[in-house]
Amino acid sequence: MAKVKFTSALQRFFPGLEGAYFEGDSVQSIIQSIEVRYPGIQHYLLEEDGKLRRHVNIFLGNEMILDRNQLSDPVTDSDEILIFQALSGG
Amino acid sequence: MTLSDQEKLRYSRHLNLPMFGLEVQEKLKNSKVLVVGTGGLGAPMLQYLTAVGVGTIGVVDFDVVDESNLQRQVLFGSHDIGKSKTSVAIAKLKLQNPFVTFLEFNVKLEASNALAIIEQFDAVADGTDNFPTRYLVNDACVLTGKPNIYASIYRFEGQVSVFNWINNEGLLGPNYRDIFPTPPPPGMVPNCAEGGVLGVLPGIIGSIQASEVIKVLTGIGAPLSGKLFLFDVLDFSTRVLNIKRDPLNPLNGIIPSITELIDYEEFCGLKQLTTIEVLAPQDLHRRILEGEALCLIDVREEEEFHQANIGGKWIPLNEIERRFDEIPKSGTVVLICKSGQRSATAIRRLIDQQGYQNLCNLEGGLIAWKRVISPDLNLF
Repeated sequence: MAKVKFTSALQRFFPGLEGAYFEGDSVQSIIQSIEVRYPGIQHYLLEEDGKLRRHVNIFLGNEMILDRNQLSDPVTDSDEILIFQALSGG
Repeated sequence: MTLSDQEKLRYSRHLNLPMFGLEVQEKLKNSKVLVVGTGGLGAPMLQYLTAVGVGTIGVVDFDVVDESNLQRQVLFGSHDIGKSKTSVAIAKLKLQNPFVTFLEFNVKLEASNALAIIEQFDAVADGTDNFPTRYLVNDACVLTGKPNIYASIYRFEGQVSVFNWINNEGLLGPNYRDIFPTPPPPGMVPNCAEGGVLGVLPGIIGSIQASEVIKVLTGIGAPLSGKLFLFDVLDFSTRVLNIKRDPLNPLNGIIPSITELIDYEEFCGLKQLTTIEVLAPQDLHRRILEGEALCLIDVREEEEFHQANIGGKWIPLNEIERRFDEIPKSGTVVLICKSGQRSATAIRRLIDQQGYQNLCNLEGGLIAWKRVISPDLNLF
């Protein structure tokens, strides 16, 4: 179980989206757990081939994940994951 | 250039500030910064950069003041509606500090003019409101070797960073493409016009951006290079993320593939290749009065639609593809939004993805309708 926080900008597409603890020992398995609770979010975050979409970013703690293609970065229970995206407003 | 006695009095709180003093104040006076965008971020940034005495400030914007700007763009008032943002801003800023020189660029920053404009300055502050200009500013700063003080906002959130900055050891920091290599597909990340923004948020984020500009220009402190600052008003959370240069960055990675500015509208998937038929408000009004069976589709957000509409079916832009079966493929269908931009996007998607041939766009949107047909329409 790792704590996941989302940029609130994602609530536009997933209105009930809230930060919570999700099961998983890698970024990929965490996203699969998130998909169970918020169906469709995986398509928003990942390309068809499973790579992280280029306008989305995931941080483990304060560091960017290393593997954007397979999302294999290991996750432990003490990790905090941030999923966010580019903002355009000014 | 050194400070006059009057300037020393004006900046006295800086002159007795530890780490600042006369030498740093004179650095500010001899600095030139370009502020791109005079909107939510640009307004507070310009006011503070003017107040603190940056010597030369370039101001870029092609837009005019709109009533919907006034909830957050604190440089402008009701009497400025319809006037050029750059000229109104500079007139007010000159009154604020007569010791600052302003350079007005009442143009849209584009690949054709960006390098020539940016080359005149020591640093650039990006306060624009769209992805094509953000990538343009980033790329132009990398190509000209200028630091880019970046900020962006949406709803209750803000982001700030300093890109393309060389530290005291001569090491170059990351740029925008190291975090977001390519822009989101059109429609995946809404702008403030669609999603809204808390009025005070750009004041907070724009002020932080101004402080980073001062640090970059003067060399005091540690700029937010290699870091991305995030702020969320709702839970008052802040976070500073570490960002690194990407060896695959197409601008300055191991094998650079971008050596000149590109077409950023096309890069962001916004190139308008599809021809869109338009309908002027007076023509739509006449055809309605004549009893023609037109199908109207309003693609604005729910709150906007309920605030004021001219009838028709409500299908917000982000649902248009999913609900296309509610839109007839025969008879004239008129797409409507506030300014005509979102409805044009909806039409492009419907033509490109579903082959519609019976769509037209209300020219100028409901703003034009209000002006020409119905002044009482209570638009946001």
